[in-house]
Amino acid sequence: MTARSLSFRSPTPMPGWGLSFGIMITMLSVVVLIPLSVLLWRGFVSFGPGPMWEVVNQPRVWSALALSFRAALVASLFNLVFGVLLAWVLVRYRFPGKRIIDAAVDLPFALPTAVAGIALTTIYAPRGVLGSFILENFGLRIAYTEIGIWIALIFVGLPFVVRTVQPVIEEIDHETEEASATLGASRLRTLTHVVMPMLAPAALTGFALALARSVGEYGSVIFIAGNLPNVTEIAPLLIVIRLEEFDYNGAVAIGIAMLAISFALLLAINLIQIWSRRRMGAV
Amino acid sequence: MNIEIEAISKSFGTTAALHPVSLAIPSGTLVALLGPSGSGKTTLLRILGGLEFPTAGRVLFDRTDATGLTVQERRAGFVFQSYALFRHMTVFDNIAYGLRARPRKTRPPEAEIARRVHNLLELINLPDTGARYPSQLSGGQRQRVALARALAIEPRMLLLDEPFGALDAKVRKQLRQGLRDIHDATGLTTVFVTHDQEEAMELADLVVVMSMGRIEQVGKPEDIRARPKSEFVREFITA
Amino acid sequence: MTDTLILPSSVPQRPRRHRSATTEPVLIKALLIGLCLVLLTVLLFAPLIAVFDEALQRGWAFALQSLSDPDAQSAIRLTLLVAAITVPLNAAFGIAAAWAITKFDWRGKAWVITLIDLPFSVSPVVTGLLFVLLFGANSALGSWLVANGFPVVFAVPGIVLSTMFITFPFVARELIPVMMEQGRAEEEAALTLGASGWRTFLTVTLPNIRWALLYGVLLCNARAMGEFGAVAVVSGKIRGQTTTMPLMIEMFYNEYLSVAAFTMAGVLALLALVTLTLKSALEWRYADQLAATHRH
Repeated sequence: MTARSLSFRSPTPMPGWGLSFGIMITMLSVVVLIPLSVLLWRGFVSFGPGPMWEVVNQPRVWSALALSFRAALVASLFNLVFGVLLAWVLVRYRFPGKRIIDAAVDLPFALPTAVAGIALTTIYAPRGVLGSFILENFGLRIAYTEIGIWIALIFVGLPFVVRTVQPVIEEIDHETEEASATLGASRLRTLTHVVMPMLAPAALTGFALALARSVGEYGSVIFIAGNLPNVTEIAPLLIVIRLEEFDYNGAVAIGIAMLAISFALLLAINLIQIWSRRRMGAV
Repeated sequence: MNIEIEAISKSFGTTAALHPVSLAIPSGTLVALLGPSGSGKTTLLRILGGLEFPTAGRVLFDRTDATGLTVQERRAGFVFQSYALFRHMTVFDNIAYGLRARPRKTRPPEAEIARRVHNLLELINLPDTGARYPSQLSGGQRQRVALARALAIEPRMLLLDEPFGALDAKVRKQLRQGLRDIHDATGLTTVFVTHDQEEAMELADLVVVMSMGRIEQVGKPEDIRARPKSEFVREFITA
Repeated sequence: MTDTLILPSSVPQRPRRHRSATTEPVLIKALLIGLCLVLLTVLLFAPLIAVFDEALQRGWAFALQSLSDPDAQSAIRLTLLVAAITVPLNAAFGIAAAWAITKFDWRGKAWVITLIDLPFSVSPVVTGLLFVLLFGANSALGSWLVANGFPVVFAVPGIVLSTMFITFPFVARELIPVMMEQGRAEEEAALTLGASGWRTFLTVTLPNIRWALLYGVLLCNARAMGEFGAVAVVSGKIRGQTTTMPLMIEMFYNEYLSVAAFTMAGVLALLALVTLTLKSALEWRYADQLAATHRH
């Protein structure tokens, strides 16, 4: 047994190990690992942490990173609330057209970001259908402001919370909600004290996924953003600008900063899942 | 509290789950609703608890009409077949749930809630489990916690849906005695649903044999055993 | 005994309509459904309608005319080419990875799964940057490749590589849970019956995973054809040569060729609608054989 547990792979008659493992590792290396290591090498070894910090520590870069993170946070918080609501409505209520609505939730996954970008810009521009309505009635400009960025990121992140929460709602045992009612709790209290806590881990996972996606989003945002330095210039756009100026070190530094944010979010997702599994295994 | 069921019927769409049934349960009795699956026993229990509403008929608690009372207003301690413990709450919070859900005026202070929860944990012989989560308990322990949670609201009656259904034979026997003891200590009118005739006969003061949405016979265990009213009852209790 | 006594005269009708303990009042339901429909209209349906509305503002003929522009034609061809290379490669990767991960026990599996998921959390622009750094003119490898007549950056290979990175997890992510759940017993049975490894895969494994594979390929293809950020960085946007459909949309849009931009966008939106339809059809028909419908 010791010999077996020390070896890399336990013996099996299953064929195709060399081929499948070989294809997997080769492609993973060529497509993902080598390119990522080159970025880290360029940043930490060729360029160095000190100079990288200097590049990042400039008002324009900070405001771009802060904008990307802030807008992603606002959009994902909106999607957290709306996503839980939509998942609830789709699982629990019956209404005509429900199947179509359910399928349409995935539209942001299927629609290219550039298409979403120009379409949202057109309707939310000051002369667009919704943009003019909002401008006249609320005096708010949507396109070419930070609110426009929120709208684009809400679009991009919409399916994540819905799709993580939906299966959890489907699995809630009706008896749990009935138990709460027999103990005297109102429907509202049952929802806030029993149902919501059960959905929380899935909702938070969906939230973190949406956040990770929208922090780095580019295609749908640049059309609607206005792209004014220090105001509506997102971090990915600044990378593009640095590359166009052939300032590779500048691009690398900002790119690494963005990777750090993404990986922190990835870590958060994993911690949420470990926490929820430990707390409420199977009952 | 005594319970009267007057010509209760229930249909789901076109299928009748309960033909009009009537039954009187004297205060403090331990009653078993006994029957095979599909006999309507769980539907009747859920109607008593306010989780289901009759198509026609009335339910009276202490001679007052309770048919229109909401589930919250009924104050029935209900123990579910799956126990339906809140898995994101500790055992303590599960038991305290009903007290904390009361409107501010009638809600006891936290210290009083803690005292009551500890008393209930003593009653079910699980004094040191308050901080655990349901997933960390055995099946029998979960069942007892569900019972304590139902008792915490100072219920007017205790309703149990197949309370021992998910347990192995040995634990089942122990918990049967536990339920009898709790019933005798609290004096609550208690109704439980079971498909196990031995369980019903051993535990209940009054056994209600049901089949296909009708009550076949009501009586003390020894009377039913001695004088089964129909072929169905005879076969079911000797099975 | 009072059992089975029928007392029709003494039984009053139900005094009021009862509310189930596990639903919300009808009014609240209607409000919540309404709110969801309004928000979805404003966020999802309005942009979708706007695409077709803008494309057809000067009629069908004018819209279709814009697609016959040589640059537009070349963009369509390039996008199809990139998808035709990327999707099969990623499908092959997905099958190989799922096989290695689910049919064998080895150390470090969890790490490899995390690495496969990694591209999901990398910004498309950073993805483009990765390949510019690796193969760009300022890197040793890049200048050597250019000198030998095989440019990667500002050329098709770069577009393919960055699209592969972006869509890398799609097929694997769908197949791994499905094959995990199906276990190894059927393959083991085939082997004991004397089937070769390939035969086992083709006759036992593949039929079991075909719908999940199709599902993954569908999503992979949609993303591959629509990728913008990574391709924008790596392609150099050379008109008629390295411009894909999404990049062409941007060019037309910035040149105020609204109909041309939205017509091309409309073609991609139609593709998205077809993708969603097929995807939903798969979910309704083969829910039990798809990971996406019981995992997430």
